[in-house]
Amino acid sequence: MKNPLKKLLSSKRKGKKPAVARKPRRGETLVRAEGIAKGFPGVWEHLILDHINFDVKAGEVHALLGENGAGKTVLANILSGFYSLTKGRIYVKGKPVSIKSPKDALELGIGMVHQEFTLARPLTVTENVALGLSTSNFSFPLSEVEKKLKELSERYGLKVDPKARIEELSAGEQQRVEILKVLYHEPEVLILDEPTSVLTEDEAKSLFSILRAMAKEGRGVVFITHKFEEVFESSDRVTVLRLGKLVGTMKTSKTNRRELVRMMMGGEISLPKKKPAKVGKIALEVKDLHVLGERGVPAVRGISLTVRKGEILGIAGIAGNGQSELVEAITGLREVTKGKVLIFGKDMTNRSPREIADMGMGHIPEERRRIGTAEGMTVAENFIMKDYRRSPFSNRSFLNLPFITQHSKKMISEHNILVPDLWVTETRILSGGNIQRLILARETWWEPRLIVATHPTYGLDLKAVKHTHELFLKLKKKGTATLLVSEDLEEIFSLSDRIAVIFEGKIVGTMDAAKARVHKIGLMMAGSKG
Amino acid sequence: MPRLFDAIREYLGTLKRSLAESLFALLIGLLIGAGLMLAFGYDPIMGYISMLKGFGIFTIEGFLAVLAIIALGLLLAAFIGAYWAKIPQALARLWRKKISGRSISLVAIVVFILFLISRMLEFLDNVELMEMLAYSVPLMLTAITFAVGMRAGIFNIGAEGQVYMGAVAAAWIGGHFALPTGLHLLAATAFAMLIGAAWALLPAILKIRAGVHEVISTIMLNWVAFFHVPYLIINRFAGVHAERTATILPTARYPILGASLTAVIFVALAACVVVYILLWRTRAGYELRLVGDNPDAARYAGINIRRAILISFIIGGMAAGLAGASQVIGRPLLGWTLPATLGTVFGLGFSGIGIAVIGRNHPIGGIFAALLFAGMLNGAKFMEYDWGISSELVVAIQGVIIIALAIPALLAMSRRGVRRLKIRRGPR
Ligand SMILES: Nc1ncnc2c1ncn2[C@@H]1O[C@H](COP(=O)(O)OP(=O)(O)OP(=O)(O)O)[C@@H](O)[C@H]1O
Ligand SMILES: [Mg+2]
Repeated sequence: MKNPLKKLLSSKRKGKKPAVARKPRRGETLVRAEGIAKGFPGVWEHLILDHINFDVKAGEVHALLGENGAGKTVLANILSGFYSLTKGRIYVKGKPVSIKSPKDALELGIGMVHQEFTLARPLTVTENVALGLSTSNFSFPLSEVEKKLKELSERYGLKVDPKARIEELSAGEQQRVEILKVLYHEPEVLILDEPTSVLTEDEAKSLFSILRAMAKEGRGVVFITHKFEEVFESSDRVTVLRLGKLVGTMKTSKTNRRELVRMMMGGEISLPKKKPAKVGKIALEVKDLHVLGERGVPAVRGISLTVRKGEILGIAGIAGNGQSELVEAITGLREVTKGKVLIFGKDMTNRSPREIADMGMGHIPEERRRIGTAEGMTVAENFIMKDYRRSPFSNRSFLNLPFITQHSKKMISEHNILVPDLWVTETRILSGGNIQRLILARETWWEPRLIVATHPTYGLDLKAVKHTHELFLKLKKKGTATLLVSEDLEEIFSLSDRIAVIFEGKIVGTMDAAKARVHKIGLMMAGSKG
Repeated sequence: MPRLFDAIREYLGTLKRSLAESLFALLIGLLIGAGLMLAFGYDPIMGYISMLKGFGIFTIEGFLAVLAIIALGLLLAAFIGAYWAKIPQALARLWRKKISGRSISLVAIVVFILFLISRMLEFLDNVELMEMLAYSVPLMLTAITFAVGMRAGIFNIGAEGQVYMGAVAAAWIGGHFALPTGLHLLAATAFAMLIGAAWALLPAILKIRAGVHEVISTIMLNWVAFFHVPYLIINRFAGVHAERTATILPTARYPILGASLTAVIFVALAACVVVYILLWRTRAGYELRLVGDNPDAARYAGINIRRAILISFIIGGMAAGLAGASQVIGRPLLGWTLPATLGTVFGLGFSGIGIAVIGRNHPIGGIFAALLFAGMLNGAKFMEYDWGISSELVVAIQGVIIIALAIPALLAMSRRGVRRLKIRRGPR
């Protein structure tokens, strides 16, 4: 401990809680939650967590599985001090503790990576990490933080530029920053809430090996997911929640997919198979498009592509290769510096988002909470974001509340969205998957002629993924053209008719989905020419 | 009827949290205020009893009556909330003499509650009650200015200057033109609102066109108005006295209801309701709130953010202009005139900020916050008369109470975090 700063950083934890600093034995129970109950009275009548038992052992990866709205995030938030609990006890290494704030939790060695991003967008990666440190030293040497960050990102293979500002980063990159931010505190228990939703398969794989490595170091890892493959790939034990109730905890090696599916949602679910497209006229045409990124550097560098009616074009690529900017340029949210966007043959380059939407385009954006919804407004108000100007949603500048209610109720039942009260609850309290369903419902109910969707099934449980895939295929059959941007190759393959690979702002290859091979696409995404 | 009970329960349920918070905050504010009085050697209990006189409460019965009125008011609000759409229909049916048991009972309940409230009022001191109401008029209006700004994500603190402009505009029309009764009143009111809006237009345009932050521009314009309006009064609009405007002609005065309360209160209340409807029931209001809640989502939804900002400034300016007018043609202060010291309008705009915060940036919440504030203002004189508590100390006590009341709302706002509204360059 020669470095005074390091001393400063670690002194607090060490000095205050010597018990925690002791290195845990392998297999020791690090955190145990007993009879946890959580309700939101006045919002929900039932308990969101109904007397749950849950524990994490040193050296294990513990998967937490459940449908959208099952209460996974709430449970994680309670363990990491973001929510208080209504009833129950939490023990850390056998000692009862009361966790009142995220800071308490960090001091006890529990850190959480949230499902949604919690980064300050105008600040750099390093600054964001420094923000979370509990020292209030004004002359904080950022270079120290940066050094440790570099070391961590090398150690765990999480590639990030510490000097980049958050708003310049793609979702996948931001995810890495979120993980680094928590790792910086070297927690003994790391909770990750759906960390793989926006990662490519390779990234997810490397994340799992990181998690394994962390478990080997004697930490406990809790890992929330919807994907069964990930459970088997990464975890030692698995706990299943269903609508707030504990269904069971078991050794991963002693269970199988069938059993988990049954526990989680009562029966096997198979994704629909796509049928060959009957393509029509060109719906969306992008010609030699150039777009600048947030920092003014070229992000899209000469992309041309076409999507025809009745066809789904999948854009595969690792986050940060220009797909966000491409989508924003097409939908009118970002300026096109060169090139053309034609929609149904009409030049819509640099037209307003409204004009473009009025051409009959639905847009499922990348960041559902930041752009896709107004979280402080009610659920009903979020349902009409794109339609409020149309009759019968409004008549002569007055909103038609009865119709809006009726419409929203229909959306809610068609898409199975968990909403306590249309006109009272703020949208922020919906679970991640339920917000995604809301956006999907809003952008597709009117059967648009063209859909631009960025990872549309992000955070959805298997049932909802199935529902969404069916929806996209149904719309395709009816002649809708779809531009599907995703890092999830499985999704790209199961929906697309053609696949284009984007790398560093250019399309490096386009091919028929039937002829494409996952392996080859993966290589192209990483930069090798097709 | 079971539906009614459900509605009441539901309404109280939604109110419970904020109501409890506000009451708790009020208690803390009162305690600190009591501490202040003790520190300066006054009896806090007697001091507060004198303050209650400002609300028209002179007796125990009066106090109970106020509690009863509050309870009845909540009941009425719950009832109207539950039958929001049906009451006008019921009235229309009665009007057309298509009497059904249902519509009669609907209207009868509303009338009965109103009747009960009017009976309760008899236990209060009429003069002071009206005085309190008179104080509340400009405050509920300037609260709108700030609240509508906040709803659109704008920190509009320009109400102060817009009030001055509205006041002098009303004084000009009211004192220098001979127009028929009715029309004169209308013209003076409308012109004041117009000038208030025009004064708000400047920061709006600066914001929209050049991205100038509204806090800076509105503060500067407040000062411009502060110096410009006295100039206008003395050099252009003075009457017999050089330092005040010509007396408002009788044709431009709102009729007096009692004490210094005039019919302008109905205009103010109507303005609150109109703004409420505008914000929550119209497309424009929806756009405005969406911009305030999440400008990125608003852009994504295809909303013209600039237009929404402009609308919020205009509504705010009109409300502030009306507030100014209410002190000139709607209140017999100094014999219906506006003094060059601006003493009768000074500070109304700034008070509106606190009131808006206490009223949770809601035009209807603002009415109640304004009444509370007005009662305290009006009670100040009794604290001074009865116990000789110096007016500065009274202001300090009021300030403490207001700050305490504002804290829950401020906390809620900060928890939510204010999203920075950026005017982006890009395709339109
Ligand atoms: N602050 C809150 N107030 C009221 N209800 C809440 C709040 N936070 C969460 N909920 C509700 O609790 C339920 C469980 O939410 P949670 O976020 O834990 O779901 P989840 O299992 O993480 O689902 P997902 O897979 O969609 O992320 C949801 O119905 C949600 O609406
Ligand atoms: Mg969740």
